[in-house]
Amino acid sequence: MSKELTAFERSDGRWGLRNHVLILPLHSAFSATARKIADESNGAVAVSHDWSGEIDADFDRIVKTISGFAANPNNFATIFITIGTPNELGIIELARKLGLSKAEVLNVAELGSMGKIAEIGLQMANSLLKEAKAVSRISAPWSAIKLGQECGGSDALSGITANPALGVASDRLVELGSSSVLGETTEILGAEHLLAARAITPEIGAQIVETVARYERSINYEGIDMRGAQPSRGNIEGGLTTLEEKSLGAAKKAGSAQFSGVFEFADQVTKPGLYFMDTPGHDTEQLTGYGAGGINIIVFTTGRGTPTGSAIVPTIKVATNTTMADAIPDLIDLNAGTIADGLKTLNDVGGELFDLILEVANGQLTKAEKGLHHEFSLSRMYNTIIR
Amino acid sequence: MRKVLVLNEKDNIAVCLVEMAIGEVIGQDGLNLTIQSLIPRGHKVATSPIAKNEGIIKYGERMGHATTDIKVGEHVHTHNVLGDRLSTEQVV
Repeated sequence: MSKELTAFERSDGRWGLRNHVLILPLHSAFSATARKIADESNGAVAVSHDWSGEIDADFDRIVKTISGFAANPNNFATIFITIGTPNELGIIELARKLGLSKAEVLNVAELGSMGKIAEIGLQMANSLLKEAKAVSRISAPWSAIKLGQECGGSDALSGITANPALGVASDRLVELGSSSVLGETTEILGAEHLLAARAITPEIGAQIVETVARYERSINYEGIDMRGAQPSRGNIEGGLTTLEEKSLGAAKKAGSAQFSGVFEFADQVTKPGLYFMDTPGHDTEQLTGYGAGGINIIVFTTGRGTPTGSAIVPTIKVATNTTMADAIPDLIDLNAGTIADGLKTLNDVGGELFDLILEVANGQLTKAEKGLHHEFSLSRMYNTIIR
Repeated sequence: MRKVLVLNEKDNIAVCLVEMAIGEVIGQDGLNLTIQSLIPRGHKVATSPIAKNEGIIKYGERMGHATTDIKVGEHVHTHNVLGDRLSTEQVV
């Protein structure tokens, strides 16, 4: 019998697996101040980015990412640092609409100096942290878990150890009523026909195929030869030969459940079931997009040992091979290399991962959380015209 | 301990779980082959003869094609395989 799941219930009925106070600059120039406030506080987290309010072809994508990340249910509160432009204030409004109940604002135009922002921000953060501490976890339904699947630094064992082990855990969660999301369009290119065949309707299958086709059209338009980037040099050294091979292995993360739908980048994940989300292959952009879509826990399989984590979404690292797991124990939460060593079966490790997901959901810190791996990147489709 | 992993019975390759030296003999899972080239851990070895342009089958699925004839026991990688899917590909 599995242990009980506990979580923080938000006022709009969403569930958080963490209770963060996030300091979020709405302009790149406030990044250092955001970090200073977080560092000096009693446990707030901060992210920084390079967006400075440009209005370009990626504007909607950036607004969606920042507002969604601010509103992630793992945040008890978000403190925005803003110059007060209509675009920036629009992001705060959008975050409120997405369910962020505690949105605090540090307006640089009103407060003036960065010193004053840091001082008031610190008081604000510590007071919110005190409030957050007073909130307790309560028993939560399985639908509270919104799992994001990710792989980075794949090797030839990814597709036979860590990825299929995640597939076992994902299948179990989906059966219990959780949400589970496969992403990284680049990395299913070549395997989309297999995933489409597992869609609950032919329309959803066609959507999966079209999402990949749209991506292929965009790279052909740019004149980019994907063979230069995928598989990456590291993948090739690890033994992966073609993009199709990497994709077949990457798709093993989604187990064998049926696909209930397709999401655009950073869409809100609200319903139970297995989904595909159109996200980039870049680890940090993808993790950020998951956070913006309300995903509250991530399993990240890695063959080469990637430190990447999120300020607000606990990220469980699963090693594909024992050599790497033993070399960097400070980054790896679970070693699936034991499958290739002939020591454990896929079901053994899938079961261990399921148990670990539950422990982490209930509050156990991941290695990435302990190491403060708080990466954040905005995903862009086009070049920024103002730069 | 197992030296190679066969993922699907339709496959014409197996994944090496340890580094393979030339002359090493693999006799597990009904295989009987002699390693023809140095193969790093995690890389693929041909378990059937693969003709030029024939598909490379892994997980029971086609992951690309041979650009030259590949003998049983040879290393299967970027030097003798190309993906099928990409429009920019130039087959040599």
